[in-house]
Amino acid sequence: MKRWRVVLWPVLIFFLFTTTAYGQQAEIKILHVNDFHGFVEPYQPLGSEELLGGIAYLAGRANELRKEKPSLLLSAGDMIQGDNWANLFQAESVIELMNQMRFDAMVLGNHEFDFGQEILKKRISEAGFPILGANVEGLGSLRPYIIKELKGIKLAIIGVVTEDVPASTHPRNVAGLKFLSPIEAVRKYMGEVKNKAHAIIVLSHIGYPADRVLAEKVNGIDVIVGGHSHAKITKPVMIGKTLIAQAWEHGKALGVLDLTVKDAKIIKSEGHLEEIKPEKGKEDKAALVVVNKYKEKVGAVLNVRIGEAEVDLDGENVRSRETNLGNFIADVMRNLTGADVAMINGGGIRVSIREGEVKVKDIYSALPFDNYIVAIKLTGKQIREALDHGVSGVENEGGRFPQVSGLTFKYSPSEKRGPRIKEISIAGKPIDCDREYIVATNDFMAVGGDGYKAFGEAIKSSGDFSVIGGMMKGEKVVYSDSSRWLRDVVVEYIREKKKIAPKVEGRIIEIR
Amino acid sequence: MKVYVNQESVDLLRGMIVKHALMSAGLLKEIEASKKVYDEWENEVGLDGALSEGMKIYLKATLKK
Repeated sequence: MKRWRVVLWPVLIFFLFTTTAYGQQAEIKILHVNDFHGFVEPYQPLGSEELLGGIAYLAGRANELRKEKPSLLLSAGDMIQGDNWANLFQAESVIELMNQMRFDAMVLGNHEFDFGQEILKKRISEAGFPILGANVEGLGSLRPYIIKELKGIKLAIIGVVTEDVPASTHPRNVAGLKFLSPIEAVRKYMGEVKNKAHAIIVLSHIGYPADRVLAEKVNGIDVIVGGHSHAKITKPVMIGKTLIAQAWEHGKALGVLDLTVKDAKIIKSEGHLEEIKPEKGKEDKAALVVVNKYKEKVGAVLNVRIGEAEVDLDGENVRSRETNLGNFIADVMRNLTGADVAMINGGGIRVSIREGEVKVKDIYSALPFDNYIVAIKLTGKQIREALDHGVSGVENEGGRFPQVSGLTFKYSPSEKRGPRIKEISIAGKPIDCDREYIVATNDFMAVGGDGYKAFGEAIKSSGDFSVIGGMMKGEKVVYSDSSRWLRDVVVEYIREKKKIAPKVEGRIIEIR
Repeated sequence: MKVYVNQESVDLLRGMIVKHALMSAGLLKEIEASKKVYDEWENEVGLDGALSEGMKIYLKATLKK
C-alpha cells in the first residue's frame, strides 16, 4: 500500500495542477511601472509642452483597468531616490503609497540600496507586497520568486536586478552582498517554478539591452517586465517566444499587458503603454491622500534647522572670485573623499546664505542641481589645464569659474592669449605637472560639463572601476557615489559640525 | 564604460546615465529644442536611463512609431 501511495501522490498532484490549466481559458491583465523615483506630481519633461505623470492619476487608471479582468500590478524597481518626496523620507512615503495602490510584487532596483541596508530592510518589512531579488545574496528578507494565482492561472514571477548595483551606489550600501548573474539566477529558479506555474514572468531591473539577451539565452520565459533603462516600449517586443515590456519612467506611463492563457500556454497577448496625464476627476483619492500627506511633511523637513552660519555665506560671486561658500562646499567634498584637491564649478552654487540659522532648504536652494561627488586622479598638467579653462570666461562670469579646496592658484584675467594660470600650489608646494593627484568634483564636471575636458580624458585613459570587498578599485577613479546628492552630503556635514564659519583665505588670487 | 551618442563614442564611469552621455557629447541642450533620445531599437529613453557598455543612443527629432 505504501508503495502505491508513493506512486499515486505525484500523479494526483500532476492531475490537480493540470486540470486547472488544461481545457481552461483565462484572460488576465498585467499592469506595470518602473523607475518611478518618487515623482508623484505631474511635470513638464524637458523639451515637452505638456504635463505628464502624477501618481494619483496613474493609480486611478490602474483601478479602472483592474475592473476589466483579474490583474496584477507590478513594479520593475527604482521606485525611490530622485524626487524630494521620496528622498526626504528615505522611501517610507513610497512604500506607503505602493501599499495603498495594492501592488502585487516589486523587484529591487539599484537605487533601492541608496539609503543603506538597514533602511532597505525596514522598507521591505513595511511593504504589504513581496520584494524580489533572485540574484541578490546576503539580504535575508528578499524572495527570489512568488507564485500568484489569477482565475485559476498560476503565474511565477522571478525578480532580478542588475549586477552593476555596486557601481551605482556607495560601497557601504552593498557591503557583504553578492550580486549574481541575472541569467544564471533566472535559469536556477525556472527549474523550481516551471512545474508549479502556467506562465513565467521575469520582473527585471537589468535594462532593455540585457532583457533582450536574457530572452535569447533562457528558454521558457513568457514575459519580461523590465526597468532600469527607462525605455518607453510602446508595444511589447517579442524575442523568440518571450515578450518584453517596459513602461518608461517617473509614472509618466502605465504598462498594460493583456494575456489569454489556455492549456498552460499564453495563446494571445496585447500590450501597450498608457501615457498618464493629469485629468481632473480621474485621480485615485486614496493615493492622493498619501501624496498630500508627505507633501506637507516635505515643507516641514525643509524647514528643519541643521546648524548655524557664523558669517554670511557668499553664493553671489562664485562665478568671478573665491568665496567662502565655494570654499566650504569644496572642503566638504575633499574631506569626504580624502582627495588632495576639490574643484567645483561656481555655476553649481546658486544663492547666498545669511549669517544665522541654516535650514535644509537653504542648502537645497544653494545647491539645487542633482549632482553627486566623484573623485578622479588627474596629473598636475591636467589640473593646470582644468583651472585654465575654469578662469577663461571670468570676464563674462561664466559658470565654469572654479571654487577649490586643497590648492591655491594665481591667475591673470588680462591675459588674452595663452594660459592665464600663473602659479599653482597643492598642500603648500608647487604643483608637479607629472604627478597624479586625487581630485574630487561633481559628476557634471567629470563628464565635461561647462567644457571641462580634463576629467573626461582621465576617465578615458583609466578603463573603469570595480567594487571589491566594499572598496572602489580603479586605475583613476577613486570615488563615485550616485546614491547621495551633493546637497545632502553638505546638509549632513553641517548637522554634524553644528556651526560653520568658512573664510576667504587667498586660495584664488587675481593678478592685475 | 564606452557608449555611443549619434555614433560618436564617449567614455563614462560605470553607473552614469543617459544625461551624462549627452553632456559628455555636448548635446544636452538639444533636448530643450524638443529632440528626444532613442536607443538602437528606436525606443525613447529617459534622461535618467541606465547605460551599459557599448550601448548606442541617438538624439533625434521626435519619431512617430
